[in-house]
Amino acid sequence: MESSLFRFIWNYSKRQQVVIMLITTLSFPLLYIMLELPKLIVNDAIQGKSFPRNVAGFDLDQIPYLLVLCFAFLGLVILNNGVKYTLNVYKGLTGERMLRRLRYELFQRVLRFRLPQFRRVSSSEIIPMITSEVEDLGGFIGDAIAVPAFQGGTLLVYLSFIFVQDPLLGLAAVALYPVQGYLIPKLQRRVVVLARQRVRNVRSIADRVGEGINGVNEIHANDTSAWHLADLSNRLHTNFTIRYEIFKRKYMIKFINNLINQLTPFFFYSIGGYLVIQGNISFGALVAVLAAYKDLAGPWKELLAYYQTQADCSVKYQTVIENFDLPDLYPLERLTSDEVVKLAGPLAMTSVSFSEGGGRPEAQAVTMEVPLGAHCAVVGDDRSGRSEVLLLAAGLLTPDSGRVEIGGRNIDALAAATLGRLIGYVASGAHIFSGTLRDNLYYGLRHRPVTVAEAVEGALPDIAYRRTEAEVTSNSPFDVSAEWEDYRAAGAVDRETLEQSAIDVLSKVGLDDDVYRMGLQARLDGHAALKDRMLGLRAAIGERVKSDPKLGDLVELWDIDRFNRSASVAENLLFGLPADPSVSIGQIPQNERFIAFLKQSGLHPELVSIGRKTAETMVELFGSLSAESSLQESFSFIGSDQMPDVERILRKGASGDGELPDADARLLIGIALKIVPAKHRLGVVDEEVEAKIVQARKAFHERVGTASGKFVLFDRGAWVTPLSIEDNLIFGKPRGDRRDARERIEFFIGKMVDEMELREPILKAGLDYNVGVAGSRLTGSQREKVALARALLKKPYILIVDGPASGANTHDRTLRDAIRDAMEGRTLLFGCDDPQVGSEFEFSVTLNNGRVEDLNAPQWPRIEEAEPLTQGSLQ
Amino acid sequence: MTIDSEVDTLCRVPLFKGIDAKKLRLLAFISERTCFRSGEHLCSQGERGDSAFIILKGEADVVVTTESGEQVVAQVGANDIVGEIAILCDVPRTASLVAVSDMDVLTISKESFLKLLKEFPEMALEVMRALAQRLEKTTRDLSTATAILADQAAG
Repeated sequence: MESSLFRFIWNYSKRQQVVIMLITTLSFPLLYIMLELPKLIVNDAIQGKSFPRNVAGFDLDQIPYLLVLCFAFLGLVILNNGVKYTLNVYKGLTGERMLRRLRYELFQRVLRFRLPQFRRVSSSEIIPMITSEVEDLGGFIGDAIAVPAFQGGTLLVYLSFIFVQDPLLGLAAVALYPVQGYLIPKLQRRVVVLARQRVRNVRSIADRVGEGINGVNEIHANDTSAWHLADLSNRLHTNFTIRYEIFKRKYMIKFINNLINQLTPFFFYSIGGYLVIQGNISFGALVAVLAAYKDLAGPWKELLAYYQTQADCSVKYQTVIENFDLPDLYPLERLTSDEVVKLAGPLAMTSVSFSEGGGRPEAQAVTMEVPLGAHCAVVGDDRSGRSEVLLLAAGLLTPDSGRVEIGGRNIDALAAATLGRLIGYVASGAHIFSGTLRDNLYYGLRHRPVTVAEAVEGALPDIAYRRTEAEVTSNSPFDVSAEWEDYRAAGAVDRETLEQSAIDVLSKVGLDDDVYRMGLQARLDGHAALKDRMLGLRAAIGERVKSDPKLGDLVELWDIDRFNRSASVAENLLFGLPADPSVSIGQIPQNERFIAFLKQSGLHPELVSIGRKTAETMVELFGSLSAESSLQESFSFIGSDQMPDVERILRKGASGDGELPDADARLLIGIALKIVPAKHRLGVVDEEVEAKIVQARKAFHERVGTASGKFVLFDRGAWVTPLSIEDNLIFGKPRGDRRDARERIEFFIGKMVDEMELREPILKAGLDYNVGVAGSRLTGSQREKVALARALLKKPYILIVDGPASGANTHDRTLRDAIRDAMEGRTLLFGCDDPQVGSEFEFSVTLNNGRVEDLNAPQWPRIEEAEPLTQGSLQ
Repeated sequence: MTIDSEVDTLCRVPLFKGIDAKKLRLLAFISERTCFRSGEHLCSQGERGDSAFIILKGEADVVVTTESGEQVVAQVGANDIVGEIAILCDVPRTASLVAVSDMDVLTISKESFLKLLKEFPEMALEVMRALAQRLEKTTRDLSTATAILADQAAG
């Protein structure tokens, strides 16, 4: 990368910089005319004589002449500001494009880091470098060349004017420049050093804050928050002193500059005055020089400010770049090349050594060969170098010496296009990306966009705009919204078959039951045909529940004429749900239509009083508990944040009745709505209330209903979007007073689903399960299986597994067999630390302290080439 | 079926005899009320015990499965508390509970019960007293049984 900011600016924006200079030059005559014109107006038009004047062939009297000049002035004002605006926009544009280019380049370099580098840098240091640290450069780049050129030019013009008036005065004017020229850079140099320290200090602060967040459990578990705070306080102090030093020097520079600027007139008055008195120069000339000198201050100040910004930005640039300009980056072609080299033949390591120093496990002269299609266990504990050897085999680490070859090709020379598409690598703790399960499974197929993004109406200009901007900043030309899944790599031909392959892989790794359950909890959007089939299933389930007393004992179905005691008062009253699933029951009373309806139907006072009674009971039940008891949290349906409000309402209620404020009434109604009679048994919802609610239901449907779009009503014949698939299928509530009712009904649904062959669509709905940030909504073993499924889906030529499924228990054993089954006929390297597990494999390598201790390689039919793989990019 | 009616029952459970109604109300509220049909298992021998049962209505057989087959060792009914041992110490269920009629049962989870004991030490004391009495009775029974056995051996 360009080692200095100016080289970077010049290399990528010389054309723009020239344009900026040109526009600035153009604006100078304009500015000059604009200064001249008022003089002309005053002297010539207002005070002038001898009219009419001839302007561009027209004879004009005084008034029209004045008007013409004034409009010309107006026009110039507009033009001048227009030019300024254009110039500023253009500068901004240039700066922002350069900033984009820089950030892109930086991140691209991060992706080119070799693996060991990531052990040396922390993400909380890298992130601010790419984001906030370079931010200021954008503003500076537009000014980088134009400002010094023109302010310097202006300064020169004024100076030569002074020199022309009188060389001696000219000398006086520049007499102190050498002093400034000596002092200011000296101070600035110190500022630059400090600025570097400041950047490093801020990075270390970011790093510590990041550590504090990642290690928050440890901090609390060890009571070390005081230590962390002290550590941060210490760093903040350093930060403070650095900044204090910087601004002291900055103001010192300003001080010197101002002092010297105001000192020069001293020479003018003394020397100039002397010269005037002696009659060596005219008084007029002295005045002119003084005026010119005053004008000198402007550009000088600008230049100084520029000098300081420039120094600041250069430091920022350099302190960022030095972290990315590493000598051992992967070559750029490794990332960008789209050429897939066919890998055929054995995987061979020839005296491969790798060391990172610092006592980390390493590989020492490892020599082994795994024939094509063989499954080989790599056995060794954490310190044996097993993981390193497997990383080397995957091409993720580069050996210090020796060669790793596949079919005679040195894999270090291969591009990521080959390594990443033909080799699968799964280690314990593999990263799961935020997004859906589907995103994660398809992740291994997203190498390049396979189609152009579908042009939505009116989106074409936007796409073109994005592309040209990307081109001018050397950014990625690929459209992220295009389709990226390489169907053929997964052996599929279109979206549907790919989904099918994904589901096949999921069942191979034994994740299908989990995904089926996720599917049951998913909400179905669109898919009209599927909903119809599901509604058919709902009807069948409903029939069975009605006819089978055992099932009927587990579920209370939704029935418009009957109160459902296993459901909340809210669901009973609405006989529906808020359309937005994120609206909780307690928030329903915030809906105006709902409140208006309650008042109309006379239920308002009833619900308020139920809410009040419930609140009283809650306060009575939980009031005597100590503050640290978690019983209230788990059982009371008044949140601890609502408690103060509730207590206030109850106190007021006790001290004589007034009109209850609207907000308080809503709060109490919210409490009443949450009651599930079968569960809470507070005796506040009696049969009379139940009857009233059932009656109000129909009125609610008529008066409010779905018209507002805020509510969705239950209807046996229609899909209820805010409900999960499972709740839609049950179309009722598992009974609150029956043990394990939900589990038992789920079991029954499972049977019905299989009967009606709906398992697959539900599995597909499960693919849209959101896995959370870094897969946090999955369990550890689910994450591992997702990572395995991701690798298997892309049908790798060679699969390397390090850690997952390597236990001796039956669960791991089954998974291991499934992996081997899926990799039948293709090469598999399987890392494990249990020799017993290793002995399951026909080939095995045992590592100890980085050396091959034992090699078990039976005769193997030599196949030069695997079965033709359905590898899209190969064809 | 409200917690108030449940509290009436709880008052009659010997274990909760000395505890005031207010706390029993809380106990009732944090318990789950479930009904069981005749023949259903409340819990099964050998599984991890995570809750105790307070029987409000109906009867259940205490069934122990031995090598010689299933054997009903006792019967429990209204106002009885069963399974409390399992929530005080981590032991698997020593017997199955099978409903012999339709039952209403309050199920209190181990977690809630322990939290409650922590909150109200006098309740813990009461539980301790009840258990001590039971132990004392068991010990007395055991010594009687030992004496009888010794007599038989001697005779």
